[in-house]
Amino acid sequence: MGSLTDKYCIVGVGETPHMRPSNRTTLSMACEAVSKAVADAGLKLSDIDGMTSYQIGDSTTSPHVATALGMRLNYAVDILGGGSSGEALVAHAIGLIEAGYCKTMVIFRAMNGRSGRRMGGQTPGGPIPVAVAEGDGQFNMGWGWTTPAQRFGMSAMRYLRDTGCTTRAFAEIAVAHRYHASLNPKAIHRSPITIEDHQRSRWIVKPFRLLDCCQETDVSVAIVVTSRERAFDLRHPPVFIMGGYARTLTDSPQWNYSRDEIHYVAGNYGWKRAFGMAGISHKDVDFISCYDAFTFTTLIQLEANGFCGKGEAGEFVKGGRLRIDRELPSNLSGGHLSEGYTHGVQMVIENVRQLRHRADDACPGWAEGRHTYDRKAGCRQLRKADICCGMGWGWENMASCLILRGIAA
Amino acid sequence: MSGEVETTRKPVPAADELTRPFWDAARAGRLVIQRCSACGYYNHPPRNFCDACLARELAFTPVSGRGAVFSFTVMHQRDVAGFENDAPFINIVVEIAEQPMLMMVANLPIGERERVRIGAPVEVCFEDRGDGVAIPQFRII
Ligand SMILES: [Zn+2]
Repeated sequence: MGSLTDKYCIVGVGETPHMRPSNRTTLSMACEAVSKAVADAGLKLSDIDGMTSYQIGDSTTSPHVATALGMRLNYAVDILGGGSSGEALVAHAIGLIEAGYCKTMVIFRAMNGRSGRRMGGQTPGGPIPVAVAEGDGQFNMGWGWTTPAQRFGMSAMRYLRDTGCTTRAFAEIAVAHRYHASLNPKAIHRSPITIEDHQRSRWIVKPFRLLDCCQETDVSVAIVVTSRERAFDLRHPPVFIMGGYARTLTDSPQWNYSRDEIHYVAGNYGWKRAFGMAGISHKDVDFISCYDAFTFTTLIQLEANGFCGKGEAGEFVKGGRLRIDRELPSNLSGGHLSEGYTHGVQMVIENVRQLRHRADDACPGWAEGRHTYDRKAGCRQLRKADICCGMGWGWENMASCLILRGIAA
Repeated sequence: MSGEVETTRKPVPAADELTRPFWDAARAGRLVIQRCSACGYYNHPPRNFCDACLARELAFTPVSGRGAVFSFTVMHQRDVAGFENDAPFINIVVEIAEQPMLMMVANLPIGERERVRIGAPVEVCFEDRGDGVAIPQFRII
């Protein structure tokens, strides 16, 4: 086990509703999410002395949020990044608290991911006019190859050819995550879908269909991290941070196809360290979360993090294996595909709620941890939710991971 | 999704001190790739240090312009600046013949939709984008 394993905990989570559009500023949403996460922990805003966030030039910053909420911080830094950054900022928090720079930290992400800047560079009025392609852009923008769907679609097409996997494996992921969203009152898309619905949906970027792509939303999310000594006094049972890796890169990170093997994505470099730090093996994991910007990104993360062998993910997910009450439930809130799009943090939030046994579902007693486990009645709490492996993805070449446990494990 | 939408201009590569020889050659109808003087490794996109041996001496060298489709996508959304009215359009990543995993992005005409496949042999051609800018493209041979 790592020297800091179980020494730090996630004690508070909070979010704004997924909206399209929010008609709010990222500052307003961030203040709400931060306040909710701090209240969820049973803390006051004045108990928080560190704040971090990540963004891609599309959000407010920690100093602005602190000012708006009347907080005086000992540490405030905002980093540049998208997916895989939330898990990495948890690692930052551990280091900062351990080193004595602050005591209790809040991490947030706020984005008008639908009505503001979208990941493909579009704005509400259409694409941003681009006159010049600079730097790395010189070698992709001129051919119109810019959006995440196009980028990951290129990897996915090659993956299908190399492994013999078909897009029905993509459908398995869309169907499982949508089923979980059907049990989540907060999700944007709650109607269950079938494999055939996926196969019939229109092309976005071949090999991706509409039902392979995530739901861009306007949202803010926040989590509170502190040391175990402080965690025991708070409102909920603590969720312990067992291990992880933080924005691990592949070689040749700026040009993801000029490598020995394109399917060897960043997670491959990290998972042994994460599981070694946590002191567990894959069979100890009760459930997972995967960055599902696209169905394919979930598929490849299962391989990259050692849940199955190379090229085996298509077989692995067959027959609803990722569904609740099956072998390895994945993205229990519905994920980016069906709940909404938060650049990864919502998965951490859902994992924390599951590990506390307090999934905010249709069960009247969920807040006290009383669940029916009746899926037809809208319960989405796992019966056994002791250890979770959360996998974050930036690109093929960047990944994070966070292994968490509840008090029962 | 019918009818023409207002389109922005296709992005123009802004050559910098590292990449200028690549774009100068493209304008002259030649495909050049940085080759390491120390170990012979080809590097693309252009960089300051050789990917294989970290040597600094990288010389732009003419290549055959032949290769094979490594992977491809067909973009159906009108989401990409300058390409609003091109959708659906094909993007390919070409593995250049000189070296395994030596990759370059390009387009194929949408008419090649039924013919494009991974492994299809291609050769370079050049597309004039006006104002003295040409970009390498590829066609199936
Ligand atoms: Zn070299």
